[in-house]
Amino acid sequence: MTLKEAVELAKKGRAYAQRTKYREAMAFYNKALSIDPKFAEGWFLRASTLIDTGKPEEALVDCERALALNPNYADAWSKKALAFFNLERFEEGVLAATRASTLNGNDAMAWYIKGVCLDELGKSDEAQVAYGKSLELEIILDMDAERKKVGKS
Amino acid sequence: MKTEIPLSKPIRRFINQTEEMLDTEISLLRQPDADPGGTLVDVYTYDMEKNINVIIFPAQYVGLLKDFIIAKHCTNLLMKGAAHKKTKYLVLSYTEDSVYRGMRQIYIDALKDEAKKEDKLPVNKLIQMLFILFTHFNDDLNELPWNAIVNASVYHRMPRIRKTQLYHVMKESKNDMDEMIEQEKIIPRRYFVLNKAMFYARDMFLAKTLPADELMPVLNIPQMKKFNHLEVKEMLTTRWTQTAWYQSKVFGDNMLELVDRHLDNAEWNVPPTLDHYLELYKMGVNLSNHLLSFMTMKDWYVWGEPKHLLQANQAKGEYEKKALKKIFGDLLGES
Repeated sequence: MTLKEAVELAKKGRAYAQRTKYREAMAFYNKALSIDPKFAEGWFLRASTLIDTGKPEEALVDCERALALNPNYADAWSKKALAFFNLERFEEGVLAATRASTLNGNDAMAWYIKGVCLDELGKSDEAQVAYGKSLELEIILDMDAERKKVGKS
Repeated sequence: MKTEIPLSKPIRRFINQTEEMLDTEISLLRQPDADPGGTLVDVYTYDMEKNINVIIFPAQYVGLLKDFIIAKHCTNLLMKGAAHKKTKYLVLSYTEDSVYRGMRQIYIDALKDEAKKEDKLPVNKLIQMLFILFTHFNDDLNELPWNAIVNASVYHRMPRIRKTQLYHVMKESKNDMDEMIEQEKIIPRRYFVLNKAMFYARDMFLAKTLPADELMPVLNIPQMKKFNHLEVKEMLTTRWTQTAWYQSKVFGDNMLELVDRHLDNAEWNVPPTLDHYLELYKMGVNLSNHLLSFMTMKDWYVWGEPKHLLQANQAKGEYEKKALKKIFGDLLGES
């Protein structure tokens, strides 16, 4: 079971990462993972920051760790696909993105990564299908966000 | 450009092409509270320390919605950059005198309207409205003609993101139609109608430019199903005719004629050179001038460098105060 303390530290790290304060975010994630190395979300969050700071190889390792702890962790598959894309390992990117979108059909990012990887592989028609799905999901999310905004005002 | 954000091939190519042509750098920034249409912070408008332009887009846009925003702002950047490099990049700004002319005209029109109204607008509200309306038209005129040009250009250059573009256009159109609706009873009829007419003309131009066959994927969304088998033009027309601004159609049709006259002959598919984007910029300037003439606002605004507008915005409180003093004289208290 994940230690409460690790979860709290990861939460703080995430707040820093959202404000693009990556160094501080990494410090919190490192601390969280030293307390609980079996904290899959901690590995995933650290992978996200590693990608944002241009370290896809290291991000890939963290994704693997998260997936070793939870093989059905859809977000980690999606992040792994992104790491593969940034490393220009497009075929592996397609496989990881497919796995992510199978586990979570509503992951617009996974569909998009699948599209861009397929595009790079010259599979334009298949890429269009993935882009179409990604767009559909993005539009639904955007319309929901608009509705919420209108409801608030 | 160096980014960790995943981008589709055509967009990456377009960004690189823009950077090369303008000899500048583009940086992408995701922000949770960014404007839904994205924001361009560019070296031609603002004093920047480095030769880096920033395109900001909402963090929740992870795929093609983000790609379209980038394409749109790159096109805008190309027009600004081409104008800057080849001639001069100018925007519609205002001066102390032009503010007076604009506010005075709005006041005269407001008085005509007020004379016919049973529920009169309180004087302080009427006074407040003058400068608000003046700057509102300045903002719209600095945005609307370019919006039509950018959309048409992106449509022709980026066939792969047309579906996304349609969604954006529809969304923008809806937001623009809703603009000013709460003030409909307050502001002089003439300005309400003109404002709506401008957006009507833009929508009709885009409806004609963006054919409906690209719309199909959007129809997978339940909320959009009612538009099945309709032409985009029909969709937009239907929505306009059902609104309270139907009178705007008469003015809007005339404005559409103006837009058509300027943009119909544009060569959207020629090689994307600086000269091409300069042509688009000139087209935008001409269209803006004709719209200003049509709305009899020609002496309200002046063409100036972006710095002129930034300075005018800083001095706007002063300009407003002086214009009010000139219009109302001693009738207006010191406050």
